[in-house]
Amino acid sequence: MRTENEIIEDFTTREYEYGFVTDIDMDILPPGLNEEVIQFISAKKNEPDWLLEWRMKGYQAFLKSKMPEWQNFKAPDVDFQDISYYAAPKNQPKYESLDDVDPELLRTYDRLGIPLEEQKLLAGVAVDAVFDSVSIATTYKEELAKLGIIFCSMSEAVQNHPDLVRKYLGTVVPHSDNIYASLNTAVFSDGSFVYIPEGVRCPMELSTYFRINAQNTGQFERTLIIAEKDSYVSYLEGCTAPQRDENQLHAAVVELIAMEGAEIKYSTVQNWFPGDEDGKGGIYNFVTKRGICKGDRSKISWTQVETGSSITWKYPSVILKGDDSVGEFYSVAVTKGKQIADTGTKINHIGKNTKSRIISKGISAGQSNNSYRGLVQIGKGAHKARNFTQCDSLLIGNKCGAHTFPYIESRNQTAMLEHEATTSKIGEDQIFYLNQRGIDPEKAVALIVNGYAKEVLSKLPMEFAVEAKKLLALTLEGSVG
Amino acid sequence: MLAQIDVDFRTQIINDYQGVSECKICDKPEYLARIREVAFNFFQKNGFPTQKNEEWKYTPVKPYINEPFDIDKDKSQTFDPSQANYFGQHLPGYKIVLINGKLSVEHSQIPDAALCTIQPVMDVLRKPEVQERLTKSRNYRNNPFLAMNTALFTRGVFIHIPKNTQVDKPIHLIHYEVGEGKQFNISKNIIISESGSEAEIIESYYHDYNDAVSFRNSSTEILVEPNAVLDHIKLQKSDHNLRMVEHTEVEQKEDSLYNNYTFTLPGMRFVRNNLNIELDGSNIESHMYGLYLTNEDQLVDNHTLVNHKEPNCESNQLYKGILTDKSRAVFNGKVYVHSIAQKTNAFQQNNNILFSDNATIYTKPQLEIFADDVKCSHGSTIGQLDDEALFYLRARGLSKTDAQSLLVNAFAFDVTEKLRDEEIKAMLNEEIDQVMSGVIS
Repeated sequence: MRTENEIIEDFTTREYEYGFVTDIDMDILPPGLNEEVIQFISAKKNEPDWLLEWRMKGYQAFLKSKMPEWQNFKAPDVDFQDISYYAAPKNQPKYESLDDVDPELLRTYDRLGIPLEEQKLLAGVAVDAVFDSVSIATTYKEELAKLGIIFCSMSEAVQNHPDLVRKYLGTVVPHSDNIYASLNTAVFSDGSFVYIPEGVRCPMELSTYFRINAQNTGQFERTLIIAEKDSYVSYLEGCTAPQRDENQLHAAVVELIAMEGAEIKYSTVQNWFPGDEDGKGGIYNFVTKRGICKGDRSKISWTQVETGSSITWKYPSVILKGDDSVGEFYSVAVTKGKQIADTGTKINHIGKNTKSRIISKGISAGQSNNSYRGLVQIGKGAHKARNFTQCDSLLIGNKCGAHTFPYIESRNQTAMLEHEATTSKIGEDQIFYLNQRGIDPEKAVALIVNGYAKEVLSKLPMEFAVEAKKLLALTLEGSVG
Repeated sequence: MLAQIDVDFRTQIINDYQGVSECKICDKPEYLARIREVAFNFFQKNGFPTQKNEEWKYTPVKPYINEPFDIDKDKSQTFDPSQANYFGQHLPGYKIVLINGKLSVEHSQIPDAALCTIQPVMDVLRKPEVQERLTKSRNYRNNPFLAMNTALFTRGVFIHIPKNTQVDKPIHLIHYEVGEGKQFNISKNIIISESGSEAEIIESYYHDYNDAVSFRNSSTEILVEPNAVLDHIKLQKSDHNLRMVEHTEVEQKEDSLYNNYTFTLPGMRFVRNNLNIELDGSNIESHMYGLYLTNEDQLVDNHTLVNHKEPNCESNQLYKGILTDKSRAVFNGKVYVHSIAQKTNAFQQNNNILFSDNATIYTKPQLEIFADDVKCSHGSTIGQLDDEALFYLRARGLSKTDAQSLLVNAFAFDVTEKLRDEEIKAMLNEEIDQVMSGVIS
């Protein structure tokens, strides 16, 4: 029998023998996480030294961090050594034509009203070169460039705008923020970079969807959005269509920076694979999202519609540093089956006259658990700060759970905070009323739920809102009756 | 993991007691030894809570226990309770004197045995109803002080209200915490309201301002049987040198009513109230009203846990806080509704006014709901007196001070008006007036 030490030694030498660093043409790294893997990723992306150093700092922080235990669910045991941290972008289409795609998926696309060409893209079917959105994307890119807006992938930004990236990367979410943020810092694959120059109002909704090279950015995305003085940008992430992904763990980081008078609107619609009937195999969505209102009169607004993933665990936050700055959080989280959502927001009021508004609507069905967890913190100097929080839960059936954990802290006597929450079910009288008018129970539920979530949906950009409404109705299908 | 903060005091306790077998109790039923063993082992391993414990996140206990305390020591020279004034003294009722947790029969007015039985808890440990209370499983992880209490208590009072009895006057427990040196008092009280009974229990506190620091670690186990009504009023006002953790566990059976009123007024430097209510039957009503008015460097922490286990019950929490100076307050409420507890109505409200930029409030009203046909809501506000209301009153000729004091009274009134006992109501309103007039002017 070999001793443990021998085996370990054997393994370490073997790794060295094949070499992570030298073999630069390798497409996919074997599973495992160590310093060489990070060096490999960095070298492969041709990154400057400071970025590699920063990745290493993140890795060191990751090694030191422990799994949090405060969450309201059992965190899955993620084997970080069992994940491959680098895969070259795949150009191979998954299917030859739509006929090969799972018909159930296509049925959903149809009902969401997604155009055929987009369906192909989403399902991973080979797309013609003249595909509409590609040409649209190119025209858009030209238009954006004219205004001085930078909208590209993070890897491109590192190459073309290293000073900007270096100045802001990691300033909102530090490398040691939490275990998943540290991991992301160490191994982030790609993501989006947006820079809006002073006084520019971005003329269109920016979306990863239009960024043609954005497919397959992988599981460790890093997004950085900087809005200079008096600029405005609206950014969309995700899409309503169900997305398949072989990566189970998603640990992205999003950083937003709003300078004086700037406004950033960030909308997310997430509908990742929630797992099979027993909740197995679904995606873990562990994202760290944070924005800082750096300058006076700036504004950051998060809107999210979360319907997918087996576990959604995220708290998009806003630091209100500038005086008169505004933070907003609008959320609809729907869970069914055995899904878990533990989501909410953190708002730190630091500047004077800062305002925040939190509207969270949770809907639980099946055997799912839906938690709102939020922190509103008023610092000593946040005179006349104002917060309003409303978190409502809707329960469908008696096997699911709805939970509210608001943390409210105030150190200033002029601050005003309000928090309210309700839990209820869809009233039988409401359904009866709609039934009487010829609307079947299923549609009635969809109607009521849409009304319930309207306050949040109305904050989404218009096309998105229409799709999100359909999505809500679809998600809850079969949960009543 | 060893909590560094309290190592000295904890080591002292552990050395003093040398495990449970050495515990200085005359009457040791076997069941109790086992329970104490578990509690003691827990305490030995975990010690006092640190801020890493979610239930103690905003309540650092280190500054309050970091002293060489004597545990359960009696004052050597005789103490005469009749000379000691406490808040609530003039209230009518059966005055039950507890000196450092120990029942003093000679100083107490024990009611007629037909009305209720009052005895030292150590004399009744073998009673089945006492055993039932003490063997309930408790969450030591969230309540490390309770583990210490269960492991080491040698004092406390047992109150038993027999079936269908109405106790004519309130039973007024007066907790005297006295001693020459620094004193740590542990007591376990048990209250049983048999079915159909009706009673009112008031608690008052006394600590001489000349005396050294006292720490009171008290736990009360209450059973409210079917159709019984129990009013429980705590008048927490005493000297700056008194600190305390009071743990109250209530179990209610069907059709019963339990009202808890907790008033914490300026004085005691550190107060932590844990109030856990288990609604174990249908058609139960529970009300929890709290008012905390804090000043100087006071820290007042109210934790509630309401556990709805059966359908058709109602629970209602209303906690209001007025914070001045450098004081801190914590409210942490939790309502838990089991999946079978349909038709539950559960409300939770916490409102706070901050009168100083150095005061801090932490509030966390939580809901955990597993049943769908329920009406549950919670609300929480932090703010100041409404400018418009002030303007309205001033426009009608009230001085600024008068207008402010009127509004503060109205704020507190929501809680005091819930009292059914008019005399306590009047006494409290007067006290609030007095405290606030100092703050406002």
